[in-house]
Amino acid sequence: MIKNYYSPSTLDELLKIKNNTNGVVFSGGTDLFVKMRYGIIKPQTVIDTKKIKSAIKLENRKLIIPLNTTYTDLLEFLKKNKTNLFLEKIIKLIGSPMIRNRGTPIGNIANASPAGDFILATYLLNGNIIIKPTNRIIPIENFILGPSKIDLAQNEIIYAIEIDVKNNYKFFFEKVGKRNAMIISIASIAVLLKENNGKIEDISICFGSVSPTILRDKNIESKIIGEEFSIELFKYLANEFEKLSKPINDVRASKSERKKLVYNLTIKAFYNLKNEVVSI
Amino acid sequence: MRIKFKLNGKEVTKEVEVHKRAIDFLRDDLKITSIKEGCGEGECGACTIIVNGKTVHSCLMLAVELDGKEIITLEGVEDSIKMAFVKAGAIQCGFCTPGFIISTKYLLDNNPTPSEEEIRDALEGNLCRCTGYIKIIEAVKIAAKGCENND
Repeated sequence: MIKNYYSPSTLDELLKIKNNTNGVVFSGGTDLFVKMRYGIIKPQTVIDTKKIKSAIKLENRKLIIPLNTTYTDLLEFLKKNKTNLFLEKIIKLIGSPMIRNRGTPIGNIANASPAGDFILATYLLNGNIIIKPTNRIIPIENFILGPSKIDLAQNEIIYAIEIDVKNNYKFFFEKVGKRNAMIISIASIAVLLKENNGKIEDISICFGSVSPTILRDKNIESKIIGEEFSIELFKYLANEFEKLSKPINDVRASKSERKKLVYNLTIKAFYNLKNEVVSI
Repeated sequence: MRIKFKLNGKEVTKEVEVHKRAIDFLRDDLKITSIKEGCGEGECGACTIIVNGKTVHSCLMLAVELDGKEIITLEGVEDSIKMAFVKAGAIQCGFCTPGFIISTKYLLDNNPTPSEEEIRDALEGNLCRCTGYIKIIEAVKIAAKGCENND
């Protein structure tokens, strides 16, 4: 049962309380309170960060999403600044309006679920995690160590996520689930593609829920730069990623169904990207 | 801990234990029983309230987080929306209705003339176990028309 509740209004104060109490830090609480209900965690001290003022920033072709930014805040910012608008497709399938009004991308990353939709977006956009007070800046693939495991010390907090600004790309995202709202994906794919005269100029391909962490292979991506954007290429990719995926059997789907989905989603990505009009 | 907030326009000051969820505080201490607990984990939307203009699950927040905020529950929603639900017959067992009405208010406050797709998107976080969705969508359309006429 919670015995102490703190709501500091500055970052310094937050870090001090965290260091002294080892309390659980939260903003939206959309995961914390579910975990507490199931007795997965039983914190005595919780530290609410919402009184700390923060604002999303666009700097040097990077988008910096600080603590307390909700999915709703982020979507409003992207629309207002007409940047990375493709992310709307991912954000709109996270939870429900109520969850998006409280839940935060940082919370999603702190949970380190293989199905985390914003973790997928962060991998896709070469994200870095900015940590305080140590000021460590770690690439997402080094920060997420496995399901529910992150590289964060007891006295540290995730302060912000930094992702690439990418506009004028073709984008495909699909999340396989049984309902539109509140779905935790069975498997998901996100592809960002820049073409030049029918050839791949830049590409980023990520899969969710088919490995202990998000599946992305930068070697494969760099190997296919300059290749023709074709079904043959995507069949090759579908085979490679099916081999690389290491899904589990769980209540949502079997291992073999997930492997098949990796293949099929890659092929589906090709046909959708082919017909996709480049948008911002 | 002593908290102070506005509930449907009225100032409330009250002592509350730090471990208490907002839903328990509002229902048990303040007797706002229109707020329902369905799943208790943010799946069903029956406990939805508006905090500073945004819909949230009162089962996934602490009462102490209400401090300094403006809260709207079913009791603070304009009659025109409630009457639209009555007119459409969008109420069966009634358990999910307050949550749906709160989501409808949030939608219409931000988008007074929603398309059917926008209505469906806005209600995606609310479950009706009687599955009376067609009439609920009808109710939101009637409520939106009411808003238009008032303008």
